[in-house]
Amino acid sequence: MNRLRVDKGLAYSDVILLREGADAVWDISVAAGASLQLTFIALASGAETLSCEISVAFEGEGGQCLLRGLYITRDSADVSFRVNMVHNLPRCTSRQLFKGILAGSSHTLFDGLIKVPAHCIGTEAYQENHNLLLTDDCRAQSLPQLEIYADDVRCSHGATFGRLDADELFYMRSRGIPEPEARRLQMVAFASEVLEGVPEGIVTQTLGVLEKLL
Amino acid sequence: MSDILLEVKNLHASVEDREILRGIDLTVGRGEVHAIMGPNGAGKSTLSGVLAGKPGYTVTSGEMLLDGESLMDLSPEERSWKGLFLGFQYPVEIPGVTNTMMLKSAVAARRKALGLPELSSAEFIKLLNSKLPLVNMDKSFLSRGVNVGFSGGEKKRNEVLQMAVLQPQLAILDETDSGLDVDALRIVGEGVNSLRSSDNSFVVITHYQRLLSYIVPDVIHVLYNGRIIKTAGRELAAEIEKRGYDWIIKEANEQA
Repeated sequence: MNRLRVDKGLAYSDVILLREGADAVWDISVAAGASLQLTFIALASGAETLSCEISVAFEGEGGQCLLRGLYITRDSADVSFRVNMVHNLPRCTSRQLFKGILAGSSHTLFDGLIKVPAHCIGTEAYQENHNLLLTDDCRAQSLPQLEIYADDVRCSHGATFGRLDADELFYMRSRGIPEPEARRLQMVAFASEVLEGVPEGIVTQTLGVLEKLL
Repeated sequence: MSDILLEVKNLHASVEDREILRGIDLTVGRGEVHAIMGPNGAGKSTLSGVLAGKPGYTVTSGEMLLDGESLMDLSPEERSWKGLFLGFQYPVEIPGVTNTMMLKSAVAARRKALGLPELSSAEFIKLLNSKLPLVNMDKSFLSRGVNVGFSGGEKKRNEVLQMAVLQPQLAILDETDSGLDVDALRIVGEGVNSLRSSDNSFVVITHYQRLLSYIVPDVIHVLYNGRIIKTAGRELAAEIEKRGYDWIIKEANEQA
């Protein structure tokens, strides 16, 4: 298990490229006024299975946690993310943004829980999971769960599943952009929110994987 | 180089087995501006979509030639490389793809297809910046997502900007005037006019006469029920503005 604690008032950010066989269980605590931003990238092909579990708890008020994830899967790969966001103290903020691009007969799961006990007023907790399905055989599952017992909180969640937009595709092609390149631009655009601020090496690797989906 | 740029012969096209175009004949000479007018549902947007290769339309018979070459089996991008440009009635918003990204990719693909050397980043930016004044746009537009959050007028100006960068032989402007206020109409009209030359042609599709007072056509066609039922000089626009389409439809019915 990876334990990560962000101390009082500090800010920490990291990008994790998930690898098959590596420990992908994260136990995270965020102290008062501390701020954490973690980005998980899962690039899976063949029969790879990547499964990541992230548990977050707050140790003091005013903690902030942003979790981002990008999974790009092809062949018969299987990727799952399980997030356990526990707002055990008042006035903490969390945001989850997980995006997936699926091809082949791959399968993905996003299972995200936001838990806000009754005393945790002033909580802000948001969760988004968006999936782009490139083939008929791939399958994305999303299980957003909100357990909110407190009043005076701001929480939201949203999950979407879609294909590359046909109007965008025709628009770009009508400008002379070849279809594969137009599709690539659409995928880069979809992923860009998660890739913002990610080190160049990992971005290059990720964009390289997108090319293989064309 | 022939004097005829676009030749459409007896073009029939359907959407989901419903025939929309029922035998279009249209010849556009090089350097000419043709307007296609007509009531709602006449097939104006279908014609522009079919010419640009929009998926979803089936050409059931007829021909369309650009500079003597058939467009029929060409992809939308190949038509663009041949010099066809479609100005959209509803320009598409593409979040996450900036104007610069899209145009850079479009210019690079076009130059590659035409066997022209690649532009350096600096050359490309210079090209882009040189076109901005044409449509009264500032540089900040370039780094925004394509059409995302643009007003109606900004979207149409963006279409003209793309046209200016791609320098098509034939530009089809589909209801470019829809949703524009007078100022935006003037900017778009002036932008288009500045791109007119003896080498390129325009097909301006519109409901109303007002755009045609900015972009003055050589020829006006009236499209109705999937056919061109009248072709006349530019003076027809004012008459349509005054009398509507009914008399033209009636005239055509009497001839038939």
